[in-house]
Amino acid sequence: MFWRKRKAREQDLERELRSDLELEAEEQRENGANAEESQYTARRAFGNASLIKEDVREVWGWLTFEQLIQDVRYAFRILRKSPGFTVTAVLSLALGIGANTAIFTVVNAVLLRPLPFPQPDRLVQLWETKPSKSYFRNVVNPFNFLDWRERTHSFEGMAAVTGLNTNLTGLGDPVALQGMQVSPNFFSVLGISPALGRSFLPDEGRPGHEHVAVLSFALWQSRFGGDPAVVGRKIIVDGEPSTVIGVMPRGFRLPKYTPDIWTPLPIVRSKDWESGRFLQVIARLKPGVTLEQARQDLRRVAWQNAIERPDFDKGWSAEAIPMLSDATENVRLPLLVLLGAVGLVLLIACANVANLLLMRAAGRLREIAIRAALGAGRRRLLQQMLSESLLLAFLACAAGLAFAYVGVKALIAMIPAQTQFPRLDTIHIDGWVLLFALALSIASALIFGLAPSFQVSQVAPHETLQIGAIRTAAKSVLRQALVVVEIAVSLILLFGAGLMLRSFHRLISVDPGFETRHILTMGMFTSPAKYSDDHKRADYFTRLLENIRAVPGAKAAGSVHFLPLEGAMSGSCFTRAEEGPPVPSTSPSADFLVVSPGYFEAIGTPLVSGRFFDTRDHFGKRSVIMVNQQFVKRFLTGRNPIGQDLNVCWTVKNPAEIVGVVADARQTELQTAPKPTIFVNNLQAPMYFAQLVVRTTGDPVRMTRAIEGAIHRVDPDQPLTHIETMDQVFSDSVAQPRLQLVLLLVFSGIAALLAIVGVYGVVAYSVAQRTREIGIRVALGAQQTDVGRMVLREGAILAVAGSVIGAAGALAAARVMRTLLFETAPADPLTLGIVVVAVIAIALLATLIPARRAAQVDPMTALRYE
Amino acid sequence: MPKKPSDRIELLQGTLDMLILRTLLFGPAHGHQIAKHIQRTTDDLLQVEHGSLYPALHRLERKGWLSAKWEVAGKDLKREFKYYRLTAAGKRQLTAEESKWKRMAGAIARVMWPAEEG
Repeated sequence: MFWRKRKAREQDLERELRSDLELEAEEQRENGANAEESQYTARRAFGNASLIKEDVREVWGWLTFEQLIQDVRYAFRILRKSPGFTVTAVLSLALGIGANTAIFTVVNAVLLRPLPFPQPDRLVQLWETKPSKSYFRNVVNPFNFLDWRERTHSFEGMAAVTGLNTNLTGLGDPVALQGMQVSPNFFSVLGISPALGRSFLPDEGRPGHEHVAVLSFALWQSRFGGDPAVVGRKIIVDGEPSTVIGVMPRGFRLPKYTPDIWTPLPIVRSKDWESGRFLQVIARLKPGVTLEQARQDLRRVAWQNAIERPDFDKGWSAEAIPMLSDATENVRLPLLVLLGAVGLVLLIACANVANLLLMRAAGRLREIAIRAALGAGRRRLLQQMLSESLLLAFLACAAGLAFAYVGVKALIAMIPAQTQFPRLDTIHIDGWVLLFALALSIASALIFGLAPSFQVSQVAPHETLQIGAIRTAAKSVLRQALVVVEIAVSLILLFGAGLMLRSFHRLISVDPGFETRHILTMGMFTSPAKYSDDHKRADYFTRLLENIRAVPGAKAAGSVHFLPLEGAMSGSCFTRAEEGPPVPSTSPSADFLVVSPGYFEAIGTPLVSGRFFDTRDHFGKRSVIMVNQQFVKRFLTGRNPIGQDLNVCWTVKNPAEIVGVVADARQTELQTAPKPTIFVNNLQAPMYFAQLVVRTTGDPVRMTRAIEGAIHRVDPDQPLTHIETMDQVFSDSVAQPRLQLVLLLVFSGIAALLAIVGVYGVVAYSVAQRTREIGIRVALGAQQTDVGRMVLREGAILAVAGSVIGAAGALAAARVMRTLLFETAPADPLTLGIVVVAVIAIALLATLIPARRAAQVDPMTALRYE
Repeated sequence: MPKKPSDRIELLQGTLDMLILRTLLFGPAHGHQIAKHIQRTTDDLLQVEHGSLYPALHRLERKGWLSAKWEVAGKDLKREFKYYRLTAAGKRQLTAEESKWKRMAGAIARVMWPAEEG
């Protein structure tokens, strides 16, 4: 219908124009012109018929759609005709778009996507703070939590959470679960109800009523086969019979934790909960309350606490941080730096494609002039060029998405599961990512399509066609500027990667103060039901370690409550015995670790003086402790540490005698220098959880079974978790900087490659353009070396200009990275020097081929050219 | 594109539409006649380019101010021409345009050649 009507109209217009043209010609004849002449004059008077038709069609309003199809078809034809150009351009862009899409996928999932709870922006994480010690996000004391909850007015609900290794037994193999103890209102604060059964009742938060459990969807599926009858079933959690009351919906989790099971946390105002800070607190703001109001409210209560319990709370305050930014704090800057880096890569890719298009447009000036002369309007030509750019961009977008898909997979694979990278499981390509990729492609098309389109719109057909030769001096300045930008930007990226490389090298060269080879580690949690008595627990650990040491190939074995490099550390206050009992708010504090005899021998931290813990130090005997060199330096200068007595706040029978000093070792992370540390004997103050450390003669992995067997001979129900070698722990601990390094290296590599292509392209093109000139020079007596040098000089000017601009940009940009670097200055002169030299060398290398070609120009051929 | 001698006046935006409507007030005409008529009545001062004429005719037709019909005409009555004629709406439009034009011309005149104070 539409097409028939439109065809009729086309014919109508054609007929109208023809009849009027005939009339015009007739009039010319009447004025005395001959037949041929009159036709010609009429046509000239009439002007460009196809342009008129085009303009009329535009009035009809069909043009845009029609033209679009035409343009796209034409663009396809053009691109197919020069596959070399098309592949280069699409590939450059696809790399840029792919890298951006991959990183944006992570940024979107981790930083941008709202938390999967109702009104997630009302959720906050509450922390205690001690500004004088730079503790800004400290876990919370139970009494303070109760006070906050009772005395603040800004929160709809507030819940305490503590992570807990939980053993599930009685269902075949004993399993260690990631458990979480929570206030009964935890689920309602988050606003999520169980998929099955119910959540906790307020009563179940009272001591003695806490033997109920809510399962995660995953645990329900894996251990209970998804049986709906699981609700009401009795299970054994940590040796205590508990009733399953509910199952949470699939995927329910906190941003940083994926628990398998939740049990109530029975906090009351009793001696057990009075001291120590270990709770995570989440809260939901009341409707209409701003974050700032809530903070003030919270600080007011914290200040009250500090007055009421100065011994414990003096100097402490509190802080509320939106849950999403709290969870993603550690990864925000690295991710944004990477996003900036890939943005620069895309910029280079765009500059490159703009350059290619400019060169091609220069070659197509004649074609364009002819099209203009045949009636293509200026707007139409622009439209046409732009649709070519858009088509390129869309092709690149499709290829880029494929790159991104693979890239994201590879990226996730590089993040070890053990590290607490927030929201790792939600990273996938979604609608927003697709939209981002599409928007990015269109934006790129506009950026790289702009210059050539502008050039085309300047075409004056009669001049171009008459003169034949094309003057492109002004445009070649534009092209050179683009290449300078490319060089500068890739220098910035290379400098960033160089800094990361130097920083990472320094990081992994740090002497951690312990050894990593031939060491197997595993975590365990002792059942409180079986081993609630300290003496019994100490005895249990002694027997475990003895059994492990008896395994052939085990050289030493011990335990520690937090493994090094896993980010965890405890602190305790203390006094020297003669100073009297310690007061938490005023006494000095030091890090402390609970270690068993054999730990230092197993991990390889040397003894400096005195002795290690050994068989003499039984439970119930005089408490003995060890300290590190930092501790001696800081608190016991000028004294012989051995034989000193300390009062330690942590549950040790005081006073405790220092029997040995060990060398300093890094604990929380490789980046942090060793701090003054007290080592408490696990056999005298046994913890419920421990990380076993076993030094082996051979490959530690192959001893796993034997060691597990040794443990299960003492207690067959003892589950073991996180069985890893110390090498693995070390490697995982630097996974994040390593990932940043690898990505920056890849991205700057791509950038350098694109810049090389850019430099090569511009110089090669300029050589091709100047073949005639070079021919004349050679004919007039220029030597091959002169010609080669002339071309190299062109490349060198580009390289030096790009490097100077790039160096300035790099120094400015690197400041952002300051906190990501380890013992490396953001303005590291050596790195900058190497990178600048490398970039100039690379750029010169790229001009070598065109320079050789120029040097070999045969004047005879060159002058015959064109 | 044809060159424009400098003594010719470029048509103001929208003026061509008014001139076409005005021309058709005398009766139906085809494109060529309209162009010639405008040229002739202005002593070739206003040159109507075909490149503007046909889009303008089709635009006016679309707006409903003109109607078009193929009619037999010419000396031998053998050829057909596409005749445009003014519709009622076109006449109203012309009146509106004319009064608008007069007001504008007056305003321009007052700016360009201010009346001398008596």
